[in-house]
Amino acid sequence: MGFYHFLSLGIILFTIGAVGFLIRNNTIVLLMSVELMLNSVNLIFVAFSRYLYGTEGQIYVFIIMTIAAAEVAVGLAIVISIYRLFGTLDISKIKLLKG
Amino acid sequence: MLFKAIYLIPLLPAIGVLINGLLGSRFSNRVVAFIACTSVGCSLILATGTLYQMLIADPAHRVVTSSLYRWISDGSLQITVGFLVDPLAMAMIMVVTFVGFVIHFYSIGYMEGDSGYRRYFVCLNLFIFFMLVLVMGDNLILTFVGWEGVGLCSYLLIGHWYEKKSASDAGRKAFVVNRVGDFGFMLGILLVIVTFETVNFVELKTILAGSHGVATATLVTISLLLFTGAVGKSAQFPLHVWLPDAMEGPTPVSALIHAATMVNAGVYFMCRIFPFLQQAEYVLPVIAVVGLLTAVYAACCAVGQKDIKKVLAYSTISQIGYMFMAVGCGIYIAGMFHLVAHGVFKGLLFLGSGAVIHAVHGEQDIANMGGLIRSIPVAAVTFLIGLLALAGIFPLAGFFSKDAIIMGGYERFGLVYWLFGFGGAILTALYCGKLFGIAFLGKTNFTGQVHKPNFFFNAPLVILAFCAVVLGILGLPMFTKDTYFAFFMGSSFDLGAGGHAAHGHGMSLSLEIAFTLIVSLFAIAAIVLALVAYSRHRKKMVDLEARHAGLMNFLFKGFMFDDLYDMLWVRPLKWISFYSNAVCDHKIVDGAVNGTGKVAMEAGKTLARIQAGYVRHYAVSIVFGIFVLVGITVMFFF
Repeated sequence: MGFYHFLSLGIILFTIGAVGFLIRNNTIVLLMSVELMLNSVNLIFVAFSRYLYGTEGQIYVFIIMTIAAAEVAVGLAIVISIYRLFGTLDISKIKLLKG
Repeated sequence: MLFKAIYLIPLLPAIGVLINGLLGSRFSNRVVAFIACTSVGCSLILATGTLYQMLIADPAHRVVTSSLYRWISDGSLQITVGFLVDPLAMAMIMVVTFVGFVIHFYSIGYMEGDSGYRRYFVCLNLFIFFMLVLVMGDNLILTFVGWEGVGLCSYLLIGHWYEKKSASDAGRKAFVVNRVGDFGFMLGILLVIVTFETVNFVELKTILAGSHGVATATLVTISLLLFTGAVGKSAQFPLHVWLPDAMEGPTPVSALIHAATMVNAGVYFMCRIFPFLQQAEYVLPVIAVVGLLTAVYAACCAVGQKDIKKVLAYSTISQIGYMFMAVGCGIYIAGMFHLVAHGVFKGLLFLGSGAVIHAVHGEQDIANMGGLIRSIPVAAVTFLIGLLALAGIFPLAGFFSKDAIIMGGYERFGLVYWLFGFGGAILTALYCGKLFGIAFLGKTNFTGQVHKPNFFFNAPLVILAFCAVVLGILGLPMFTKDTYFAFFMGSSFDLGAGGHAAHGHGMSLSLEIAFTLIVSLFAIAAIVLALVAYSRHRKKMVDLEARHAGLMNFLFKGFMFDDLYDMLWVRPLKWISFYSNAVCDHKIVDGAVNGTGKVAMEAGKTLARIQAGYVRHYAVSIVFGIFVLVGITVMFFF
């Protein structure tokens, strides 16, 4: 179990999150994908922090976790609003920003 | 010891303006009029006191200066707010305050019931203030401030009845025509600043008296530019067209501004800068010719006028022409004497015409008056005195002053010049006789009740008529250059030898007496002839005029100068304005502004098509963007 294993796992998780965000339609799943990406980045931060014997990476991890918590709270509230407004959570049906 | 607080003289009318202008709405009309008259009256008292002290003082110490504070300071150029009173300014101050006060008093009755009563008195007071600043300013800049200020008041007062289109148009015309002259005035001041680095009259005089080494061409240019300003303000040919139209204003305004004071500012100013004129060759003859041309031309026009005020307006232009003749002949003391005399008797004539117009309910056409001497005797008799003074009949003030000018013309420029001046004097007598004959004698053409003038009308008329008679004393002793007036003026700081006639054509006493007799006798003959012709044989004269309707119309329209200027300036200007509006403004400027907006809108519309509204699209573009950015970074930095 070396540095490259952690790094590979982080990259794989990030790719899963990004691809999930691009191809799934359910808003809640999109939110989960975003969380997955954030946490994959956290993993990579921690890995680098260990590998380079520094603590800065771990500090970033705490900041990102805090922001992620706040983001989830706001995100879920938005999801509820979207459902109340459109009666659906299918993101491909919502295109208010069309120019 | 002379009176030092001369700044109080212009300050008092300014206080009157402030009180009436800021608080006047709470006062009744009577209080407003009282404050206005009192402020000018106090100025008159102070001015009289200064005059008295000046008279008892030693002739060498008759110049008072009072510097209030430094206004503009730029290197060697120091411009102060300061006043200068010498006998030249004193004469003008006396005219302004005295005639000004009388006309303020007259206005109480004349403007009664006018809706703009307070506005009228504020403007009138403001005018007196600016006029005094003009007269008393000790440098060119301060004089210019007063110069523009009186122009503003003139504009406001001509357009006093601004609901009437002709009145507001006349005000605008006066303002615009004056701009032409003032442009020259400003350029002249700038040239003085560049050349001499000072604008103070006393300093300029000192520099010019020494060996200054300034080229004559520069002095000529300065003199001509400043003369342009004087031509505009004093309504001389070719900038005279505004004055006849200015008669749209209330009659006391015509009396004060357009007869007695403001229009004479040009003459006064020429006297003030006489050291320049003296050293700049060729300029004095130019002034003399412009003055002569105007004097004769305006006298011709006055003969053909139908409106009582327009006769007087053209007569004013003509008389100011005589004053410029005096300046041009180098005898500006005579010019100033004519200015003082003219200020009094022309003020009297305008006030008299105001009383007449008031009496016949606003009628101004002299053909509809007639026989008024029976119904308004006081106004008629005082009017006659004014006309006799204007025509230069012995022993009224106008006789002495005009005689001196015509004689000076002979001495300086010879017989032809004298003949034209003489012709102008005869024409003056003719239109005076015609005016009195038609309006006051013969059978009356006015139907309706004549409005009797009250005390407010008659008192100023009698006072001014008295002055018009006794002012002639200043012109004594006759047939010498050393009249009482010249003796007083001779101690002005910038007069010296130049104030007296140049002895080009030295003339004997007998010749002078003969010339004076010729002028006087012809003038008396002309006035009597016109009087009789237009009162006894009016019908014949009307027929005669009808037969020469073309000529009379030509004179009536002032040689068609309005039409000429309309063709030369007004129409091309209007065409250019129309063109710039249609092409430059609507097509070019609007096109550029609207075009910018249009381009932005079109670009936005095109780019908006990218916005599909799907969250996925945004996400894809973000991911794609990251790939591009990272790719670029890797390419360039690793």
